[in-house]
Amino acid sequence: MTMAGPTQAHDASDAMIRIAGVTKYRGSVAVLEDVTVDVPKAQVVAVVGPSGAGKSTLLRCVNHLDTIDAGRIYVDGLMVGYRERDGVLHELTDAEIARQRTRIGMVFQSFNLFRHLKVLDNVAAGPMNVLRMPRGEACELARRLLKQVGLEGKESVYPNQLSGGQQQRVAIARALAMSPSVMLLDEPTSALDPELSQEVVSAIRTLAEGGLTLMIATHEMAIARGFADRVLFMIAGRVVEDAPAKRFFTDPQHERARQFVRSHD
Amino acid sequence: MTAAAGPRQRVVHRRSRLAWAFGIAVLVALALLIDAAVRSKVVDLKVVAQYIASPRILEGALHSLLLGTTALFIAVAIGLVVALMRVSGNPILVAFSSTYVYLFRGTPMLIQLIFWFNAFPIMFPQLRIGIPFTDIVLVNEAMTKLVTPWLAALLGLSLAEGAYMAEIVRGGILAVDAGQRDAARSLGMTSLGVMRRIVVPQAARIVVPATGNQYIMLLKSTSLASAIGYLELLRVTTDIYATNFFVVELLVVAGFWYLVMTAFATAIQTGLEKAFPHR
Repeated sequence: MTMAGPTQAHDASDAMIRIAGVTKYRGSVAVLEDVTVDVPKAQVVAVVGPSGAGKSTLLRCVNHLDTIDAGRIYVDGLMVGYRERDGVLHELTDAEIARQRTRIGMVFQSFNLFRHLKVLDNVAAGPMNVLRMPRGEACELARRLLKQVGLEGKESVYPNQLSGGQQQRVAIARALAMSPSVMLLDEPTSALDPELSQEVVSAIRTLAEGGLTLMIATHEMAIARGFADRVLFMIAGRVVEDAPAKRFFTDPQHERARQFVRSHD
Repeated sequence: MTAAAGPRQRVVHRRSRLAWAFGIAVLVALALLIDAAVRSKVVDLKVVAQYIASPRILEGALHSLLLGTTALFIAVAIGLVVALMRVSGNPILVAFSSTYVYLFRGTPMLIQLIFWFNAFPIMFPQLRIGIPFTDIVLVNEAMTKLVTPWLAALLGLSLAEGAYMAEIVRGGILAVDAGQRDAARSLGMTSLGVMRRIVVPQAARIVVPATGNQYIMLLKSTSLASAIGYLELLRVTTDIYATNFFVVELLVVAGFWYLVMTAFATAIQTGLEKAFPHR
């Protein structure tokens, strides 16, 4: 990728994820409205709020799976999805965006494992096809990551033969295989029953302890209250409360946040 | 299992008496029909046996099989390209592909075969292929000579079937969950890579049953080529009974070989479904 000179592709602040004044419309409805968040390296941010608040949309904008209508998003200092020329944002090419996404891991609510590939090939798919890692090396890496998420011995089964919790852990390993600098987790436990979500929560906790920068849209109190550093509370496309996790749960400021905390006690 | 189970209770399950009564009625009717057929000697099995493996019939059946199979491969290739155009979102490609599907799916196959064999050489009597801006001529031939019954049949069947395959492949592509694309893109695959490595392999598994169905239809549709003088199974059969008048026996022979081809196609489909299951 060539770095066009006079653009503001680079961001001077030391935030790992920088979301600055982001607005997004679906039709005439603003699904994100002037969202501004700086996430320093190694911080774990829980994005909470009622359904339809824009949590998923916000995460999907960070790796440009969704487009934005105003504002800027930077990951590791680099503007995501666009380059700026004379104050106008121009969408990057397919290949440029693809390259940016290699540094941004994503885990989905419905796992989205590649159904036609065995577990090992799911994890090796990124390194092999995108990073052009030799097959043997990619499989070696995949084996190590599967072991890390506690799925040794499941390498050659297909995703549909695994429980939801196991599938989500494969999905985490698949995202890790690209050695991303940040990871976006979109309601990673919402499709799981409480017992299975525990194993996924502990896999995510391991990532957090490993110093990876995480943004997690979640309803799971074991994450938000358990080990998140910071909570963003969203309603109708706006971040209405942004506080350290401890303070959010002991002394929420916004009325709806107070209700939310009370209902999860 | 706990070992506490007592002696097994005898249970008489409900039977559908009406369905059984119907079944017996069907058997009786069939027996009467077969009896009547045997009495009136509708078919001379000796003649059937004489022709069933005769060289002309076998050659005709082979021609049908080759024509149908080649046309299927071309149709699948056409279908894939046209379906990708259709889902590309580019207005020109979308308009082109939907027009193609409309025209070739919307007119009878028989008319298309006759068109390629009879009308096309009238429209373009001479085929001349040269290197542009030079005087070098590579091909210069009368179209009537080039468009043989085989070529016209292959062209007609492939293009008509390609329209059906385009819709089948499009359905397969649309049936691949959007989350699969999201996941592939989030790993950093380009649009082309997502299509090639994730969407098309999964769509291919989804379309196997429908494609097997089309293969069977296509094998039977090769009989349309008899109308333009291609010596496939039906044409050979009618040619033979035109001279010896064993109409029933020869149609039985032809029907037998179509059934064999259909069984062959079904076996391939079943094998593919087992080898590449949709998960």
